[in-house]
Amino acid sequence: MLLKTNKLMKAFGGLKAINKVDFELPANEIRGIIGPNGSGKSTFFNLVSGVYEPDPGSYIEFDGNDITNEPPHKVGELGLARTFQLLRLYQDMSVINNVMSGYHTLVPYSFIDAVTGRKKIWDQEKTIKEEMMELLSFVGLADYAELNASELSGGQRRLLVLARAIAGKPKLLMLDEPAAGLSPVNVDNLMKILMRLKEKYGLTLIIIEHILKVVMDTCSKVTVLDHGEKIAEGTPTQIKDNNAVIEAYLGKKMDDEEMRKALAV
Amino acid sequence: MDKFKEIIRQYPFLGFIIAFIILMLVPSIFFTDLYQSHLASLICINIIVAAGLNIVKGFCGQVTVGHVGIYAVGSYTAGCMFLYLGSGLWLTLPAAILIAGLFGMAFAIPSFRLEGPYLALATLGGGEAIRLFIENGDFFMSTYGISNIPQPIIFGVPFDTPDKYYYIAMPIMLIAIYFSFSVLRSSVGRAFMAVREDPISAAASGINVKKHKMLAFVLSAMFAGGAGAVYAHLPPGYIHPNNYTVIEMVTFLAMVVFGGLGHIWGGIIGAIIITIVYDLTRPLYEYQLFIFGLTIVFTILFMPKGIGGFIDKYFIDRRFKTKTGAASK
Repeated sequence: MLLKTNKLMKAFGGLKAINKVDFELPANEIRGIIGPNGSGKSTFFNLVSGVYEPDPGSYIEFDGNDITNEPPHKVGELGLARTFQLLRLYQDMSVINNVMSGYHTLVPYSFIDAVTGRKKIWDQEKTIKEEMMELLSFVGLADYAELNASELSGGQRRLLVLARAIAGKPKLLMLDEPAAGLSPVNVDNLMKILMRLKEKYGLTLIIIEHILKVVMDTCSKVTVLDHGEKIAEGTPTQIKDNNAVIEAYLGKKMDDEEMRKALAV
Repeated sequence: MDKFKEIIRQYPFLGFIIAFIILMLVPSIFFTDLYQSHLASLICINIIVAAGLNIVKGFCGQVTVGHVGIYAVGSYTAGCMFLYLGSGLWLTLPAAILIAGLFGMAFAIPSFRLEGPYLALATLGGGEAIRLFIENGDFFMSTYGISNIPQPIIFGVPFDTPDKYYYIAMPIMLIAIYFSFSVLRSSVGRAFMAVREDPISAAASGINVKKHKMLAFVLSAMFAGGAGAVYAHLPPGYIHPNNYTVIEMVTFLAMVVFGGLGHIWGGIIGAIIITIVYDLTRPLYEYQLFIFGLTIVFTILFMPKGIGGFIDKYFIDRRFKTKTGAASK
């Protein structure tokens, strides 16, 4: 198991955002996480990546390491990369610098080397830059490398965030709504790039997505969250027909008696 | 030209040696009186402070208004070491850098939890506290100031006049610029920028946010401390608590903002211009603060990335246009 959570819990005051979620993810899988708004999907990401501290009793294991209470940068170092729903791009940095800062954990020289500014560093910086330019041309942003990230279009920003997350050569990539706000053509394009990246770097993916087409087409297994609880897990076709899932999204079908009661109150 | 650029990029040291030779020749060609040499030394000192301030404010994005306090720590370390131990610049400079670094560490702690204006207030309090502590401490000669701090003597030649002291301040400035360039152009500089732009995202990329904030504060404090020591030894070698008030801090900030926040040359350009303007406007003493305040406001309104960013933008836009414009048409 690449990622494993056991009785994962997080409460904000009285609200149980995540309630005893057991989650297991083997390597090389593409897992989708779906659920209505406020069902705890992003909270789940934030807990796993260390942005939030889980409540006592929870346990998170990544690649054989206990990361339950690790700070986010430690989790990142271990090879767990993520993107954010609100992108969180480095707006005021050039595109290439955005991607290169994603490479931070793999930089081969030490701080002392950097301060003294030895020649070796510029050689290494050059190779890093070339490597990152390759990645940028892979996602189709090479022409924009020196522009500020804030000057990119919405679709390009999504690609840049993806490139930045992959720059650190992660084992597991968690994508929080990668296709939100994209037109159908761009969604297809993004998914194509995503699949090529997965093959090239041997990634394991977790995708939160509201566009069900994306989830149904790409994910081999889907986990459904509702009110912080895991209500279903299975292949996309199984999930499609699962009553609990339909209920969570569309509500319960009432019979006449129930309807009458509801209206009377 | 491109080849020359490439060589400089690979051996940044060469560029600094060239700059050193040029700056060595500047006084004999341009300067007509001692005062200009004094001003040149002052510019060198201000460049060191501004280059340091650019690390923490421009690159790491941590608002600090207490830097002048650390500058004072550097100066008074030098002053007190002369007063009680009789040390010269070569001993006081490293000591000042070290002690200022420790103070920088203390200044970094509030930045872990505070942001923006709140951090500015906290650091302002810290800086003022240091000044008041000095002003009221007999150990620091309180409001008398420390005088007669000696200038260094190299091979029997005393560097005790402004025109000679320039040759002490200038190389130290070049070394400081060299270090700031090395740091800011490496992965550490990129990490600083990432912390400035989005700490949560930076952490997700494996950047230790607290460590880099601490690093930025300590580095820039070391710059300020070194500059303080060089300032203390500046002929006539006199320091007084009134040289380290908020007014000076505003001037330093004006340098960094005007030159370009987060631009590698920012602090340097700004320090040169603002120091000269500061000197030219001396007759208008009452309006000086007003002028610098307005400079900051207008720079932020119309040129948010300062002169450096303005120039940068021009070149990048032009390169981008030639690259993509040629392809699409």
